[in-house]
Amino acid sequence: MNRTDSLRQTLARRALLGDGATGTQLQSMGLKPGACGEFWNTAHPDRVRELHRRYVTAGADLLTTNTFGANAFVLGHHGAADRGRELNVAGAQLARELAGDAAWVLGDVGPFGGMLEPLGETLPEDAAKAFRDQAAALLEGGADAILVETMSDPVEMALAIGAAQAAGATLVIATYAFQKSAVGLRTMMGTTVAAAVAAALAAGADVVGANCGTDLSLGDYEKLAAELVAAAKGNPVIVQPNAGSPILREGRISYAESAALFAAAAPRLLGAGARLIGGCCGSTPEHIAAMRPVVKPTG
Amino acid sequence: MPSVTALTEAVAAGKRNDALRLTQELLAAGIPPQVIVETGLVPGMSIVGERFRKNEIFVPEMLIAARAMKESLKLLEPLLVAAGIRPKYTAIIGTAQGDLHDIGKNLVAMMWRGANFNVIDLGTNVSAERYVAAAREHQAHLVGISALLTTTMPAMKEAVLALKAAGLTGTKVVIGGAPVTQDFADEIGADGFAADAGTAVSLARRLVGEAA
Repeated sequence: MNRTDSLRQTLARRALLGDGATGTQLQSMGLKPGACGEFWNTAHPDRVRELHRRYVTAGADLLTTNTFGANAFVLGHHGAADRGRELNVAGAQLARELAGDAAWVLGDVGPFGGMLEPLGETLPEDAAKAFRDQAAALLEGGADAILVETMSDPVEMALAIGAAQAAGATLVIATYAFQKSAVGLRTMMGTTVAAAVAAALAAGADVVGANCGTDLSLGDYEKLAAELVAAAKGNPVIVQPNAGSPILREGRISYAESAALFAAAAPRLLGAGARLIGGCCGSTPEHIAAMRPVVKPTG
Repeated sequence: MPSVTALTEAVAAGKRNDALRLTQELLAAGIPPQVIVETGLVPGMSIVGERFRKNEIFVPEMLIAARAMKESLKLLEPLLVAAGIRPKYTAIIGTAQGDLHDIGKNLVAMMWRGANFNVIDLGTNVSAERYVAAAREHQAHLVGISALLTTTMPAMKEAVLALKAAGLTGTKVVIGGAPVTQDFADEIGADGFAADAGTAVSLARRLVGEAA
């Protein structure tokens, strides 16, 4: 049985624990604000290994590759549009190396960073090509599934899911960033939870859910989990909260939600029906370790 | 007689073909281009900003309205330039140093243009020195600094301090972006904070002394 099949079968049997933040963790290891974290896959592979090692030690079932912005558009802003394959292959290999038989590797795909036509200037086929190239390199490097995350536009989400499948992915996890509004939880583009989930499922996502988001408390994520489950029509739901909103005090950034609060939220997220839980911005190996006893590795 | 109110409604609804046709008709009827901008387009984008602030519309509707405005401006701008008429206020905008995320900044720039500000967009990853230099060169009434990343908030503070230290009287500094709060704006001495692109317009108008 290949690893993707074993991931699918394990998910059918029990809940899974994701890992926590990548970007904010790399910054704590010295990545400068605005610098391209994906460059570290080749420039500082030892530090990326250390990040993955901490999450494996914390008990994560899923390791997320350090490739969130490794698409041709975002890399282009760093003058490295042509380094996508190299950085994605290296990113997947690093996660694969540390995952061993203890965890599965999710090849991370983030937004391309602009707006699609007709709202913006980017042709859908150009964005699709960037996503396809990225997913192909992640699979080449050993990713067991593709995670398309932090999306706001359901059209872009559908493009990315289709591109991942075209690149050969047989398990695609699709998550959006939501925010509060006067009319309930919406993406930045105004998409409701139900519409966002429906678009991802129609495009062929195997797992749907949410990560990141703006100004959401753990209580908000719990409500979001319930909305996602209601919209997912029996498909597995993933929720990866931020560790609260960032606070800047005396030049240092901290996050409000502690590991203990994550441990307390974990049973509520699972109780709302989520099957995969982890963390996004600000969450640390301590947050993941604190949730491990709740997300039992067996049973 | 064509009406500017119809143009306002066309822009607010994002009907760009109507906006173009109505602009042609208003010009043909002898309405001066600056009157069309001030009484047709600006109120239209103001409605858009207000609806956005209230979550009645979201980013797509705002972008579609801006396209309608641009359609009209394509006809009006050459006439305004030829007549030597410039917007009354100039605004500088850019994302904080270290921040390459520009969707929010672009929305604010678009809405400020819609409020008839002359907007100089410095792009992303803008250093404190570049904000100061541009504010001085263009005698800006307003400087807008945007950040998506929490990690670039210290850079935002540095830019605000540099602008204040430069002694640019008449230049107000406003900040915005996902991690930014009013408390943070107060703490670093910014003149204003806007939670979204709709609020950014009323804030800008208020800071330059126009009715919001």
